[in-house]
Amino acid sequence: MDFVKLVVGQILPFLTILVLVVGLAMRVAKWSKAPVGKMTIYPGAKSGGELIAGVLKEVMLFRGLFQGNKGLWVGSYIFHAMLFFIFFGHIRVFWEALFFLPEDMQGMVSSWTGGTFGVILLIAATFLMIRRFMIGSVREISDMEDYFALVLIIAIVLTGDAMRFWGAAHIDLATETRPYFIALFTFGKVVVPSNPWFLAHFLLAQVLFIYMPFSKFLHIPGIFYSQSLVQKL
Amino acid sequence: MSYEHNDAIVKSVNAIRKGPRVLQLYMDICAKCGTCADNCHVYQADPTPEKNPAKRSDLIRDLYKANNTLMGRMFKKGELTKEEFEKWVQNFYECSGCRRCAVFCPYGIDNSVLTRKGRATAHNLGMSPVRIKDTQDISDKFGNDEAQPPKAIIAALEFLEEEVEDECGVKIKIPIDEPADILFVPASADLISFPETMMGVGLFFHMAGLSWTMSTEAVDGANFGLFSGDDAHMKRKNKLLHDASLKFGVKTLCIGECGHAYRIAKKIGGPNYWGENGKLPYEVTNIFELALPYFKDGTIKVDKSKFEHSVTYHDPCNFARSCGVTEEPREILNMIAADVREMTPNRQQNWCCGGGGGLAVMDGKEGVTAFGEQTFMDSRMTAGKVKVDQLKATGAKYMAAPCANCKRHIGQLLEHYETGVESGGVFDILLKAAILD
Repeated sequence: MDFVKLVVGQILPFLTILVLVVGLAMRVAKWSKAPVGKMTIYPGAKSGGELIAGVLKEVMLFRGLFQGNKGLWVGSYIFHAMLFFIFFGHIRVFWEALFFLPEDMQGMVSSWTGGTFGVILLIAATFLMIRRFMIGSVREISDMEDYFALVLIIAIVLTGDAMRFWGAAHIDLATETRPYFIALFTFGKVVVPSNPWFLAHFLLAQVLFIYMPFSKFLHIPGIFYSQSLVQKL
Repeated sequence: MSYEHNDAIVKSVNAIRKGPRVLQLYMDICAKCGTCADNCHVYQADPTPEKNPAKRSDLIRDLYKANNTLMGRMFKKGELTKEEFEKWVQNFYECSGCRRCAVFCPYGIDNSVLTRKGRATAHNLGMSPVRIKDTQDISDKFGNDEAQPPKAIIAALEFLEEEVEDECGVKIKIPIDEPADILFVPASADLISFPETMMGVGLFFHMAGLSWTMSTEAVDGANFGLFSGDDAHMKRKNKLLHDASLKFGVKTLCIGECGHAYRIAKKIGGPNYWGENGKLPYEVTNIFELALPYFKDGTIKVDKSKFEHSVTYHDPCNFARSCGVTEEPREILNMIAADVREMTPNRQQNWCCGGGGGLAVMDGKEGVTAFGEQTFMDSRMTAGKVKVDQLKATGAKYMAAPCANCKRHIGQLLEHYETGVESGGVFDILLKAAILD
């Protein structure tokens, strides 16, 4: 157990950050340097401002997908929105962020929204998985890596939801995670939480981040580039 | 034993590593959501895995990953057999390159870019379908896709002048190889297969009293380099248009009812090849944008009730999605035809007829490839079903498609599905609707 804690809690985090940051930076730099041709899909953006607005519309609203497949839009939009909020909601794991509320009230609000979003995310991810199995046109283009990506996310959500909803898996942010992360990143005396649910959740999340620069998760930075290509006049 | 061309194929795909941004991105970011298949006419008409756009693009993606990424090396096959490459050529010629997938893909992935890459790989091995390769060879030899020497072009245009006189009772002149303000370049088929469009355009120039010319050296805008993936050919063919524009000192190069010709002359080639900072010494436009003002100001007098058919307008993919020309043709059509009906969806979201990407010329044995007989006729007739259904819903009796590829394919389609509907261009209708005094 101590070995697991050492690897997951004290060594891997630095490797994860290194691979994620350097990996993404290298990939984005490679895209940026590559030559670009004209390939507008009209109407296209008439100015720099319109281009930014157009790309953001795709990134934030999934405009094309909305017109192309309404059912998938609903599932996919909820999935991504929940991921986004939950990702940034994790700030509470590291830092006693108060957002204009007294601590106990903030704790309750975070707990409720985080919990609700965690359940919705699980449903949305399951929907995407079932869809991949059930719809022929999606199943026939699905690779091992497509299933792996979803399984990984579902496993992360399940372990996260367990800590939220199941008393036995509960972890205290104020006494366990915050001191741990502060010590880790200030190179102080680290006490890695022993909660196995936390360790599993944290390990899986790190696998996801390490995997990101080498996988379909590159669509996260990639969408800005690829949408610019077809929207630029 | 591995396939003799395997190394060349892998090399072509590996070039993506240092290739254009679009290809690099498309290797990395597809999330396999299947939205392209939902919006592809080829797949919707025949939902088999080989016709799934993402699956087709995976032919390149998988080979690329197998030779360039850690995961790919572990899990994917890094080489092709002869049979697999035959299938490759077939698959990449079943996509009409219409770019509709890019409108709906959340990332805007334009699968036609990979289709063209797949075709280019085949072309460099001399394995383009025979009709594609032959058309390029003819074009390189004669300067036009119809194998017409200058004398024959002049004779053909004189014949069209007589035809206009017979039909409309007015003597028009189609100037050829003369200094003028406008160089007009039609689709290759407009000289022989679809002369009504050329006649209608000739009548328009006559009525508008404009200074225009055609050129025996650049008599068509067709350019199969776009279809085969042969960039060098695309540039060679486009140079004929540029040279003729300079030779006759024109202010305007006007492309006729030919979608891909306009896309190359205006967007892909043209200014990018020959311009200084993207600017040419002449303007590149199309017949609709050029003609519309003369219709609006009454220079062209028409009586739209003289055209008896109900009409629907088919947006050629290259005009609508790739060049943004959607309104001018409709405005003109609404002035020369009384009963114009819209198909839905239309404009940028229009369904491809199925004849794009050079498919329109590949019927029967003309689709023979280096491997032997491979016909694309069945595949494109099947793919055209979406368009036919869309047409039937309007009840229109004439389908106006200002693109020689669309026109040829749609003509065959309407016969194949026994619709009893006629097809043609937009300016064809002017022959009927014009008021000549």
